[in-house]
Amino acid sequence: MEKYKFLDEITSDVMFEAYGSDLREVFVNAAEALFTVICHNVSGNEEREVSVKGKDTDELMFNWLQELIATVDIEEMFFWRFEILEISETALRAKIYGEPITREKGETVVKSLTLHKYKFEKTSDGYITRISCDI
Amino acid sequence: MKSKMKKLNDFEWLLGKENRDKMKVDAKIIANDLVLEALENDAIAQLTNVACLPGVISPVVGLPDMHYGYGLPMGAVSAFDAEDGIISAGLCGFDINCGINSILTSLKAEDVQPLLQELIPALFQAIPCGVGAKGKLRLTPEQLEEVLVRGVNWAVDNGYGVKEDVPRIEENGCMEGANPVKVSDMAKKRGRPQLGTLGAGNHFLEIQKITDVLDEATAKEWGLFKGQVLIMLHCGSRGFGHQVATDYLKQQEIAAKKYNIWLPDRQLVCAPANSQEGQDFFSAMKCAVNYSFTNRLVMTQWIRETFERVFGKSWKELGMNTLYGLCHNVVKLEEHTVEGKRKKVYVHRKGATRSFPGDVVLIAGSMGTSSYICKGAAASLEKSFGSACHGAGRVMSRATAIRSFRGNEVKSELAERGIVAQSTSPKVLAEESPDAYKDVEAVVDSIEGAGIATRVVRLEPMGVVKG
Repeated sequence: MEKYKFLDEITSDVMFEAYGSDLREVFVNAAEALFTVICHNVSGNEEREVSVKGKDTDELMFNWLQELIATVDIEEMFFWRFEILEISETALRAKIYGEPITREKGETVVKSLTLHKYKFEKTSDGYITRISCDI
Repeated sequence: MKSKMKKLNDFEWLLGKENRDKMKVDAKIIANDLVLEALENDAIAQLTNVACLPGVISPVVGLPDMHYGYGLPMGAVSAFDAEDGIISAGLCGFDINCGINSILTSLKAEDVQPLLQELIPALFQAIPCGVGAKGKLRLTPEQLEEVLVRGVNWAVDNGYGVKEDVPRIEENGCMEGANPVKVSDMAKKRGRPQLGTLGAGNHFLEIQKITDVLDEATAKEWGLFKGQVLIMLHCGSRGFGHQVATDYLKQQEIAAKKYNIWLPDRQLVCAPANSQEGQDFFSAMKCAVNYSFTNRLVMTQWIRETFERVFGKSWKELGMNTLYGLCHNVVKLEEHTVEGKRKKVYVHRKGATRSFPGDVVLIAGSMGTSSYICKGAAASLEKSFGSACHGAGRVMSRATAIRSFRGNEVKSELAERGIVAQSTSPKVLAEESPDAYKDVEAVVDSIEGAGIATRVVRLEPMGVVKG
């Protein structure tokens, strides 16, 4: 199964879809897609732990990616590997791995996720989420 | 949608509310034929979505740089009744008070050209830019709070900028009524290390020269002359403002449900203007506005110090005063004439500048093309709630631009024209290639033709620093 796909939909911003056969996979794949927009060639193994909640899985995905965007600013780190330790429909706990930010490995600032055409859906073979980012 | 637009004159087009179910008011687009031809139908449809929101005042305005965005087009202005209308975090956008400061110099292009190869790298080092650059300041929680409440007054008290800068910034660099209590801890954590950083994407610092003076009297009054070098700084409220907007996007999604507001697009979340949710956003947004004004003034001072080092004179000797600083993404409570009566309205400018009669209006071109300094004109008050366009506006998506151009080639093409460009990655130069943008001349012709703002001087880029 394809992990994610970028869509040429918004003139000045970025949209992608991420897929997964289970919740764990779609959350990891969406995070990986997001970080291809933010940085490149990151391989460090400094770890941080994040816990996120949402009223449903739709909001949990939004809050998860939003938490990662904020963590880049607060920890001043780029991330590349995401390990979901626990996940339910309304909460997750994850270890994320990366390294301190450097100009050389930076791509662009993702300001935020937007709700424009946002979706999180269960499909016949797993899950799909569609994310648009303001950059 | 475009085929349904009625031509009012050579620069104004109307889409009547009868064209779509649930539109409460008309939509109007300021554009000449060339600009209208290039407009995306989907962007026009987004404008009609805004015209469906409660308490919207006629008309919803699309400016000539408008293009398809998330929820609404970039380059749009909408006003809502202060009593019965809404305030919307979605309509304001994520980069609250993304905006431009223009800094004067007494230098001429021929003084600067020989030193550009030294100046641009020096600015690139002095101004933290790109997603990977660490800020040079680390604010304490108390310092941040002061920035949020006092805006540029904090900067001036701490040696960033001088008191003469203050009246040359929209709102005197500080919106009153900012309340940090309404801002999340997450936003504050993101804001503390990032004051004095440029960001990335379309944010830039450009060295420009005046090539044409088009309104001699105003140019003289504003201290502008042919051949003069100016600096244009474009950036916003960084992670602080992004987090404020995101927090209230979620809160207003709940509020819209609570107050039974029908949303034609999920991104157009809003709350009644007089509700707690609406006013909480307004107070928090003002904190982000003040952060952004301060961010630009802090960097202005670093730009001045860099010029001092390169040119061996004090910045005052170099005449580096602020010409003007303005907002692009903002909500303001203003009084406008609506159906012959003065009325308080919440004006939402998204990718738009204020253009009250006599205002300095800064219109940024794309990286390799001209920019304009214009003067707000009287018709802007009746036609666009006192607003003008903010730039050239994209015609090509970032993704297409990256596929179509190579950053290094863009850099070489700019170099052939004597323009020195430095960025953290070549990709950003491809994304921001001049060919990805509309023709700025057609955009400025449109606002001038509509009587919204008139040209004062035309500028061309000499050097650019990008995140």
